[in-house]
Amino acid sequence: MAVAIRQPGWYRGAIGLVLGAAFGFCLVVGLRLLSGLDAFQTEQTGYPQVVVPLITAPFGFLFGFGAFDYWFRWAAGKPTIPEDHSGHGATKWQDYFKFNTDHKVIGTQYVVTTLFFFLVGGLLALLMRAELAQPGTQIVAANTFNGLFSTHAVVMIFLFIIPVFAGLANYVLPLMIGAPDMAFPRLNALSFWLLPIAGLIFLGSFLAPGGSFDAGWTGYAPLSTGAPLGQSFFNIGVQFAGASSIATALNFLVTIITMRAPGMNLWRMPLLVWANLSTSLLVVGATPFVAGAQFMVFFDRILGMNFFNFLEGGDVISYQHIFWFYSHPAVYIMMLPGFGIISEIISTHARKPVFGYRLMALALIGIVVLSYSVWAHHMFVAGMFSWLRVPIMITTMLIAVPTGIKVFSWLGTLFYGKIHTYSTAMLFALAFIITFTVGGISGVMLGMIPIDIHVSDTYFVVAHIHFVLFGGSVFTIFAGIYHWFPKMTGRMYDERLGRIHFWGTLVGTWMTFIPMHWIGMDGMPRRVADYASQYGDWNLLISVSAFVLGAVQLIFLYNMIVSWRFGPKAGPNPWRANSIEWQVSSPPPVFNFDEIPRVVGGPYEYGTPGARHAIMGGEGEGAEVPETKPSTVTVPS
Amino acid sequence: MESASIAAHGHVDDHHHGPPEAHQSARIDRTILGILLFILSEVMLFGAFFAAYFFLRVVADPASWPPEGVELPVLIAGINTCILVSSSFTIHYALEAIKHNNHRGLKLGLTTTWLLGATFLFIQINEYIHIGFTPRDGAFGSIFFSLTGLHGAHVFVGLLLLTFANIRAYRGHFGPEQKDHLGVEVPGIYWHFVDIMWIIVFLAVYII
Repeated sequence: MAVAIRQPGWYRGAIGLVLGAAFGFCLVVGLRLLSGLDAFQTEQTGYPQVVVPLITAPFGFLFGFGAFDYWFRWAAGKPTIPEDHSGHGATKWQDYFKFNTDHKVIGTQYVVTTLFFFLVGGLLALLMRAELAQPGTQIVAANTFNGLFSTHAVVMIFLFIIPVFAGLANYVLPLMIGAPDMAFPRLNALSFWLLPIAGLIFLGSFLAPGGSFDAGWTGYAPLSTGAPLGQSFFNIGVQFAGASSIATALNFLVTIITMRAPGMNLWRMPLLVWANLSTSLLVVGATPFVAGAQFMVFFDRILGMNFFNFLEGGDVISYQHIFWFYSHPAVYIMMLPGFGIISEIISTHARKPVFGYRLMALALIGIVVLSYSVWAHHMFVAGMFSWLRVPIMITTMLIAVPTGIKVFSWLGTLFYGKIHTYSTAMLFALAFIITFTVGGISGVMLGMIPIDIHVSDTYFVVAHIHFVLFGGSVFTIFAGIYHWFPKMTGRMYDERLGRIHFWGTLVGTWMTFIPMHWIGMDGMPRRVADYASQYGDWNLLISVSAFVLGAVQLIFLYNMIVSWRFGPKAGPNPWRANSIEWQVSSPPPVFNFDEIPRVVGGPYEYGTPGARHAIMGGEGEGAEVPETKPSTVTVPS
Repeated sequence: MESASIAAHGHVDDHHHGPPEAHQSARIDRTILGILLFILSEVMLFGAFFAAYFFLRVVADPASWPPEGVELPVLIAGINTCILVSSSFTIHYALEAIKHNNHRGLKLGLTTTWLLGATFLFIQINEYIHIGFTPRDGAFGSIFFSLTGLHGAHVFVGLLLLTFANIRAYRGHFGPEQKDHLGVEVPGIYWHFVDIMWIIVFLAVYII
């Protein structure tokens, strides 16, 4: 027991958690007493005796859990072994609950954790739909409803969509580029463990006096600066989630730039790698802005500053500018990795090279650049500078061009391909193209100032965001999970259950979110617990469909869990794909490769006889392997 | 910094041979690229606060900026700027020294940098105490303390990194090869960033 306490792990983590919380608490109370104030402060925006421990306790836990042990040894000038791999690999399930530095273990940790939060966020959504099934208030009070939609959005965005992509990429990206691990494995592990902390802080806000944060996931000031204690939980949780995604993005960038296998130049990188390169550029550049915005709200709330207090010279609109300067790029952070996944799947299952590969990569970079210039289209009715409206409308329209390039290139890839639809991953990829295009078009509509003014804050906006985030991002996530499930677990999932899940999800998505366009155009406001009775029939249909959609996800969970344990062995390359991760065993060996592979051609040379993407170590030893020339697209006539 | 690989530790059994060496596909060192990207995100964090500064000063259009009766100690802050800027030269000297295997110069440079940074922070805290307004005094107080405080926090982190570098320098851990003095170079890059950022904060808050 005494040894267990000194070793990094859960015991020491729990002690660290308690000590961290106690430290924060004593700091606040001590300083307050020293300054002659009351020990506790219970104004609704205050509660420093709760808020400060909320910051220090997670750090205490991480210290105890072993996240900083190596860095402390280094800082204290003790000898360290930079290439220490004792924390690598997982042989039993308990290894997934450790501070593990193996990118494959971390990838799995990410995906499982985020799916848990997907479930939580989904349940919050179903609670809302239950309330909205009929006009009037039946199940939850209006205040609770505000808390429900706020936490639903925050959990889905910060704890499901953004990190699940980081998780999938964590698993496959180092394999794809022929790297033994990520560039900074310890930072990688720390990024993961910050996530559940952020999630627990968000959900913990339900226990705060005054209920959970309820100013929406946008947390507009001054609504948020005067909100009850729960809002501070949001401010702090966003910092943890944001730090996690910045650290991961930095890790991806360094890995992609410095650790590619020999022969893998930029134009031989799979598009998933390109997608994560561009996403990471967005995260590193934009996420600090949401951190800044939440810091300012936090300072206003806790320290009594006046960033957003009009009476003291503050500026209210500045919150929205700073917030959306992150949060618009954030929608691409939630979409670009999905684009990468879809490119991989479509090319593999259509047995054809990606149409316009270079343009696909450049379109990603184009979206990154443009996405920094469109933030204010969220603010057309907010009373911002009127001269900014039309330029922002134009850039918003422009961003449809690179996105359109991607959609048409997927269609071009499918054109005359040998399309295999036996994989659920491919079904989701095909459905994604259609559903995402619908969501994209309603996005262009919302970018037009007159339409935006008409449908602002109605269900039309809700319909749009769910078509691009559920019909878009979540479909790509399902596609990605099905596609790499055999690689990650070494076993095959059940295609029949996969199909049921697919059709249920597709029909459920359309039935739930299409009618929202119509009632939105009609003027039903979003984010309100009650509505005029004329919308009753449509809302009942939406609620029933939402519950079907939710129920279908249980089939997915059952399929994943049972197949992971009992599924038939998958073999290294069930999809006959070219990229490097499929050339190693399933699941991959603990250090990925015995020898770094050599890349000799593009990743998508399907249909070219004898074309190779990579030569694995030990293969063709000493023999001269000819470089594969990129093929031109040939259409059989 | 000892760079001991698994192989050097004598694990030569087939079951735990460690990963293959990653192929270096770019000339830049991983750690250096990492700190540069981290600095990029730090610049954006400062960017958020500068955006707020712009909104509070220009868009909200207050009657006077700084408010009536507020006098910023430009002279003291100017001297403080000189102190911080000179510390950038001393850390550069330390790095050049270790590149030529001059351990005495390394220790001299690092210690001087640390002392200069600590002096800067001390004067800054002193300025806070005597400045005559608080973060609660209007939007000006909020953004003044936020910008300079955010920068002060970065000086503090930089000082921590320099402390670690000092400990290892005095134990004689660094060497002339790049991989053997990353522990000086990386905090050095961060320190230069803290320095340049102060010049921008100083110009925006005190001068214009």
